[in-house]
Amino acid sequence: MKHSRPVRLVALAALIGLTALRGSPAPMVTIPPGQYVPFTKTARGAQAVPVGAFLLDEFPVTNADFLLFVRANPQWRRSQVSGLFADATYLSNWANDLEPGRLAPADSPVVHVSWFAARAYARWVGGRLPTMAEWERAASAGYRCSDGRNDPELNRDLFAWFAQPAPEVLPSVASAKANFYGVRGLHCLVWEWVEDFNSVIDPAGDAGPGGNLYCAAGASDVKDTGDYATFMRMALRSSLKANNTTGSLGFRCARDTGTAPGGKAPEGNLATEKSR
Amino acid sequence: MGFAGLAAAARAESGPGAQTKGGATAPACCCTESPGAAFSKNSIYQLDARFQDDAGREFALGSLRGRPVVLDMFFTSCGYACPLAVTDMLAIQSRLPAELRSRTVFVLVSFDSVHDTPEVLAKYRAQRLLDGRWVLLHGSDSSVRELAALLGVNYRREADGSYTHSNVLSVLNRQGELAYRRVGLSGGVSELGGAVVAAGK
Repeated sequence: MKHSRPVRLVALAALIGLTALRGSPAPMVTIPPGQYVPFTKTARGAQAVPVGAFLLDEFPVTNADFLLFVRANPQWRRSQVSGLFADATYLSNWANDLEPGRLAPADSPVVHVSWFAARAYARWVGGRLPTMAEWERAASAGYRCSDGRNDPELNRDLFAWFAQPAPEVLPSVASAKANFYGVRGLHCLVWEWVEDFNSVIDPAGDAGPGGNLYCAAGASDVKDTGDYATFMRMALRSSLKANNTTGSLGFRCARDTGTAPGGKAPEGNLATEKSR
Repeated sequence: MGFAGLAAAARAESGPGAQTKGGATAPACCCTESPGAAFSKNSIYQLDARFQDDAGREFALGSLRGRPVVLDMFFTSCGYACPLAVTDMLAIQSRLPAELRSRTVFVLVSFDSVHDTPEVLAKYRAQRLLDGRWVLLHGSDSSVRELAALLGVNYRREADGSYTHSNVLSVLNRQGELAYRRVGLSGGVSELGGAVVAAGK
């Protein structure tokens, strides 16, 4: 790979500019290659999808992070945003356009953000949203092992979280426990947008089994209803529109390996090492 | 019933549709509105997603401003739902009153960013005898996902390379605002045609 000097300089300047805007780049964790077993099975679907290595934010995006974004991008301020891209409850827990306020502490996950807004933020920081396969792969880990299904502590926490209504003021992202890969808050903090949230096709919605709405009408079926948390996520994703916002739905960013901020060689990152 | 009657109420417009030879080129951009003006708050054309037409040219959705649009997301190798949707769109096109037909654009955007290259789309155009009023678009995964999200179209790629997807025909008005959606394949074309008449005003 050859890069000419001017390209490098421009890239460096862009990086410095970005870092200055955002403070320090968000810490990211390398998720090693693995596979994702889709929750729903279809006649033509795969049993397991390979997922390449990728970088994932250690924490969900916070109100403080998102404030920098709306400062720099006026079209994403609450009073400016198009209803096409964010519904009426966009940032509704913020005091005003540029002040998160009492209900949205700086270090709590930002919520009441639409998929379009999450995506625009991710692009702004030079990243992207994780795909559903990537997100589910990272979230399949327990606290101490790569397969969370066998982690009684995680299952206990999950059911305790489901049993509680979302608090009016969300806790700090720092309060979230790290999973096996070192990613925090994938469970038990907020739900999170993924790039292809609209790939979940609800068999009970506009594609009834035997109906005529989908090429694969009637072919989709849930694989393992025992996985309650996954079922909840899939149900949520299938119910969302891209401009929807809720008080328990946030996001985090991903990147391809090799595009880590700071230009650190991804080969050097171990699974649990944070690249700063 | 039909939409010929409804169309009588549609405002006639003098803007000449770009008549094309061989049916292979997209219609020219309408010139009733200044190209520099901002899109309306609910215009889908605010999307900055980029596409390529079946001649391999860059295509911005915003260039459709000023025209009524019937839009479908599809993939060329679909053996069931997509051909039916295209047949319905052809039926609408043939039944529109001539003046409205001359300025209505029919857009097909492929889910399949891998196989539905401009060349493949050009073949599809020839197979289905789609004239110059049709725009066939190829886009990156990101652009296609974004447009689908905006139109409320869910889809996923299956392991065999096919796509499971909702079947939604969208009608956009001259500002690029979503004026009507037909969900499912059985809705018929009368209501949809009426929506095109209304969108062309």
